[in-house]
Amino acid sequence: MPQVRIIAKNFMDMVASLPAMKLDRLYHNSFICEAILRSLPPLAKKYVLQMIYMEGPFPAKSLEEWVLADGFSKHKVAIDRLIQLRVFMETTERKKETSYRINPTFQSNLQKHLTSGGVLPREPMPSNITVRLPSLEELDAYALEQWECFLLQLINSSQAEKLTNFSSSMIRVFQRGLLSQRDNKDAPRLTESGFQFLLMDTNAQLWYIIREYISNSEERGVDPADLISFLLELSFHIMGEAYNMNTLNEIQRTAIKDLADLGLIKLQQGRKESWFIPTKLATNLSVSLTDSSTRKQGFVVVETNFRMYAYSTSKLHCEILRLFSRIEYQLPNLIVGAITKESLYTAFENGITAEQIIGFLQQNAHPRVAERIPSVPENVTDQIRLWESDLNRVEMTLAHLYDEFPSRDVFDAACDYAREWGGLLWEDSKKMRLVVKAEIHMQMREFLRGQKQ
Amino acid sequence: MASVPSKLYSDDVSLVVVLVDTNPFFWATSSLSFSQFLSHVLAFLNSILLLNQLNQVVVIATGHNSCDYVYDSSSASHHGVENRTIPALYSVLLQKMEEFLIKDEKLGKQESPGMIASSLLSGSLSLALCYIQRLFRTGPLHPQPRILCLQGSSDGPEQYVAIMNSIFSAQRSMVPIDSCYVGAHNSAFLQQASYITGGVYVKPQHLDGLFQYLVTVFATDLHCRSSLQLPRPAGVDFRASCFCHKTTIDMGYVCSVCLSIFCKHHKKCSTCGSVFGQAQADNSAVSDRKRKAPET
Repeated sequence: MPQVRIIAKNFMDMVASLPAMKLDRLYHNSFICEAILRSLPPLAKKYVLQMIYMEGPFPAKSLEEWVLADGFSKHKVAIDRLIQLRVFMETTERKKETSYRINPTFQSNLQKHLTSGGVLPREPMPSNITVRLPSLEELDAYALEQWECFLLQLINSSQAEKLTNFSSSMIRVFQRGLLSQRDNKDAPRLTESGFQFLLMDTNAQLWYIIREYISNSEERGVDPADLISFLLELSFHIMGEAYNMNTLNEIQRTAIKDLADLGLIKLQQGRKESWFIPTKLATNLSVSLTDSSTRKQGFVVVETNFRMYAYSTSKLHCEILRLFSRIEYQLPNLIVGAITKESLYTAFENGITAEQIIGFLQQNAHPRVAERIPSVPENVTDQIRLWESDLNRVEMTLAHLYDEFPSRDVFDAACDYAREWGGLLWEDSKKMRLVVKAEIHMQMREFLRGQKQ
Repeated sequence: MASVPSKLYSDDVSLVVVLVDTNPFFWATSSLSFSQFLSHVLAFLNSILLLNQLNQVVVIATGHNSCDYVYDSSSASHHGVENRTIPALYSVLLQKMEEFLIKDEKLGKQESPGMIASSLLSGSLSLALCYIQRLFRTGPLHPQPRILCLQGSSDGPEQYVAIMNSIFSAQRSMVPIDSCYVGAHNSAFLQQASYITGGVYVKPQHLDGLFQYLVTVFATDLHCRSSLQLPRPAGVDFRASCFCHKTTIDMGYVCSVCLSIFCKHHKKCSTCGSVFGQAQADNSAVSDRKRKAPET
């Protein structure tokens, strides 16, 4: 079975993979320039800023002069990234000196931003029209609820048909995203990567979903570049403000309905006009994945006796915990469970690794225990790892057995040779037999043939 | 401060507290006008805010007689700005700056003329450090703070003790003080401040290109600094001011108990009250021991 790993790639990787022409077109939008700049590694940001008012190419040598010896790898990464995103254009002069030139559209857009300050992509609607705007807390709650509702559908896919507030197009997209794979006639079942997906943090999950959404857009007759630019633009709106739907074009209006399903925005209808309100999920879109600022408050307390207390009202949390533990009680705001050998074995069978479980418990540790080091008791983490390694007691390696050596010298030489190649698995010097890995069988044969002569 | 690093963002999120010198005595004599200077600084502030969504900028004006917060990007809202042709940062900052200058001028009239035209750097440094300390204590995560002094007027020796204390407290809380000195001569205070706290001191050669200096050197966040070569101090003026007359001295007397510095011999330390030896009559043997360096 091919291993499908979910890598929560950055949004910008997707942007970088766009063809050059489309990328250059994207840079005409100043919000995209801004989002791209913010996504760059710190050193790359600095280089862009440094060259923002420079006309003409800038020799690579003089840029390198600033770099300290241990920072060189970072410098390389930064420059590669800039060239990949076509922010820097590499030009080679006659004298074989490389120099960089900053993308002129990108440059002029950022210059404009520096001198005139940040502008909003859209004017928020005046408050006399939009009377009953939700408060920020309500909005957060709405976004979370919408998102968890969506995830619950993934995790409890047998009930999926009952939850119909998602468009069927969305569900199709995610089914192809290997979250739930239909075996021929069976009920849809979460795959291994589906479980991995659920254990990721919200931002990473969101990226994954958005990525699937964008890569699928072409089939729906939407240009991915348009969608990307709209999503990035969306992240520059102010959270909690209302924006008029009339300012959107046709593509954006269809996209926004799907985004509302995910909880990125809230749609509201007034007497005459309708408007959309971006939530925290939308404004965090352009924030890079490494950023821990959006980390949620933890809720899990694990005790040394393998009991687990989760202070959560969310059904989703309960379902996630059920993946690897035995839920014992469920009180209105508390879930009590135990991590048992059996519960973990089912988790391992489903393809969840011990590290993922431990990572999840650590990431979601309740603030009270999060201050402690380690936040999850060591005996519990060790035991989880031990139980996992119990399952992997036997390891299979393709191998070849050699015996009937003509002399002890040949046998010893063969052993040494196999050891040198790191392919010796087993040897029995009394009976002069050895087992080597299949990969070095050919070399071994050549070697023995040489010995014979 | 053991708990501080764990609360930092993993990324390059930074808080830059910019101390802007608004001393009219200096700007009247400078080749670069204050408005030009301010336009460089505003563009610089914009670029800091551009670099990261979570970056934060605080501007403190350092006047001749007072100092005050002028702008804080975390509390500045996008609402309530009627004139939309000017971005919020500019209109808020300029308005506050003007109010500050008027207030500062009024304070000046009450005092007698003939003072050294230095600005109240010690005050604004303390304000900056207070702001940073408050940040350390609130919220689960906070950006990496640093202070940038944009100073033009010459050092006021009477502020020596206060400034040194601020420098040491910045050092203790691991806040680097960067300084960009636009005046004529080097500033010993700022050189020491940057040297002690691990910041960068730069005296731009061409003031027309101030923005480029600011962006190339001072926009570098603390993450990048480990991999980049930034201007190093050529020589730091470590001279101290005496506590009694507030003059800068090369040689002087140091209290053996509290390390206070005096330019003349005293019977009693004015800071800690220790009584010095009765040896002032014969100035050869005993008093030499109390001297920092032997007279030549």
